[in-house]
Amino acid sequence: MQPPGSPPQKIALPNIHNVIAVASGKGGVGKSTVAANLALALARTITPQPSSGKEGIGRVGLLDADIYGPSVPIMMGVRDVVDQRTTPFPLERYGLKLMSMGFLVPPVQAVIWRGPMVHRALVQFLTDINWGPLDYLVIDLPPGTGDAQLTLTQTAPLSGAIIVTTPQDVALIDARKGLEMFRQVRVPVLGIVENMSYFQGEDGTRVHLFGHGGGQKLAAEAGVPFLGEIPIDPRVSECGDQGEPIVHRYPESGVAKAYQALAAMVIEQLRRTDQGPELPEVQL
Amino acid sequence: MPVALSKDGPDRLVIEWSDGHRSVYTWRHLRDNCPCAGCREERQKPPDPFRILKPNELVPLAPLRMPPVGRYAYKIVWSDGHDSGIYTLEHLRSLCQCPQCSVRAAYEPET
Ligand SMILES: Nc1ncnc2c1ncn2[C@@H]1O[C@H](COP(=O)(O)OP(=O)(O)O)[C@@H](O)[C@H]1O
Ligand SMILES: [Mg+2]
Ligand SMILES: [Zn+2]
Ligand SMILES: [Zn+2]
Repeated sequence: MQPPGSPPQKIALPNIHNVIAVASGKGGVGKSTVAANLALALARTITPQPSSGKEGIGRVGLLDADIYGPSVPIMMGVRDVVDQRTTPFPLERYGLKLMSMGFLVPPVQAVIWRGPMVHRALVQFLTDINWGPLDYLVIDLPPGTGDAQLTLTQTAPLSGAIIVTTPQDVALIDARKGLEMFRQVRVPVLGIVENMSYFQGEDGTRVHLFGHGGGQKLAAEAGVPFLGEIPIDPRVSECGDQGEPIVHRYPESGVAKAYQALAAMVIEQLRRTDQGPELPEVQL
Repeated sequence: MPVALSKDGPDRLVIEWSDGHRSVYTWRHLRDNCPCAGCREERQKPPDPFRILKPNELVPLAPLRMPPVGRYAYKIVWSDGHDSGIYTLEHLRSLCQCPQCSVRAAYEPET
């Protein structure tokens, strides 16, 4: 947002190859968790030998656009508000470049932000921060499909969006609204990922607690790809609370493997949407 | 999908669509319907009869550039510096002012 007459805000991001929004129809489905772990899985895909110490060469960013309830600081182990004079943005953790409103203000202060301010903050995060060249920038959108979300999808030049859902019926209904929102603004939906789909036993057997196939059915119904299922694992929230996402902490776990598969699907879908027709240029 | 976009004189934009439709717009109409958060909020306010025009509202407004945004929208960079509106293809199509669409719009006013 800007009043007419103020300096223009440019939202061309020539240095960032793919901007991926992670969305959900409502909170609590694991959207932020998926955004963080997907970002790490993408980084591991680019740099397959992360244990060399020099892990990730900073080609993946994670932008927390959930200004009302930022969770990147806790998930990534950034406990305090950051002093910009000593620590330039984006921060780096586990090979990812990170930005969150939670680095600037304590969470309680952020809730009163109104739509246009949210928009302006996001524009600044995208343009004023020196992300450097990135292969992927993952954006954790605020939950829901209201005006704030719509504005954000119209602010950032999104390559595509991922919708996170859970097997419960209610979550699926909300996911439908998310699909509708992206259709409205013509952002390609890369697909639906179903989180907390099943428990995996020691022997590899899968127990689907809340029914099976909801996300897949929704994807089929909407004509978008189904990107996969992420199992439930108590270590996911433990890792989240302790500030080191599971893909980094337990890269051999079933959950981490599900995330690597998800990253591969996302890369494949990005490649496909990239082949869509380019819009004609306008000579004025 | 748009096939071609071009200027028609100083005041108008023409978009030719892949389904054969030919849309015309005045630039004023496009600016008045800018989808950015700021303009949307501005439009929701009741009109103020005593409002004083800002200097930049007195000079004629011109579009400087109209770059594509991804594969789903265009952005218009205006001569007064405003450029935060992203016009999706769907939105552009719905704003069409060709005689056919204007008649239809008159019968089903936008809510
Ligand atoms: N696959 C999973 N297994 C177990 N717990 C999970 C899983 N995914 C997310 N969680 C937990 O669910 C809670 C909500 O997740 P979060 O990512 O904050 O949701 P959202 O961003 O959608 O509000 C968190 O405590 C998180 O650790
Ligand atoms: Mg969250
Ligand atoms: Zn505007
Ligand atoms: Zn028309």
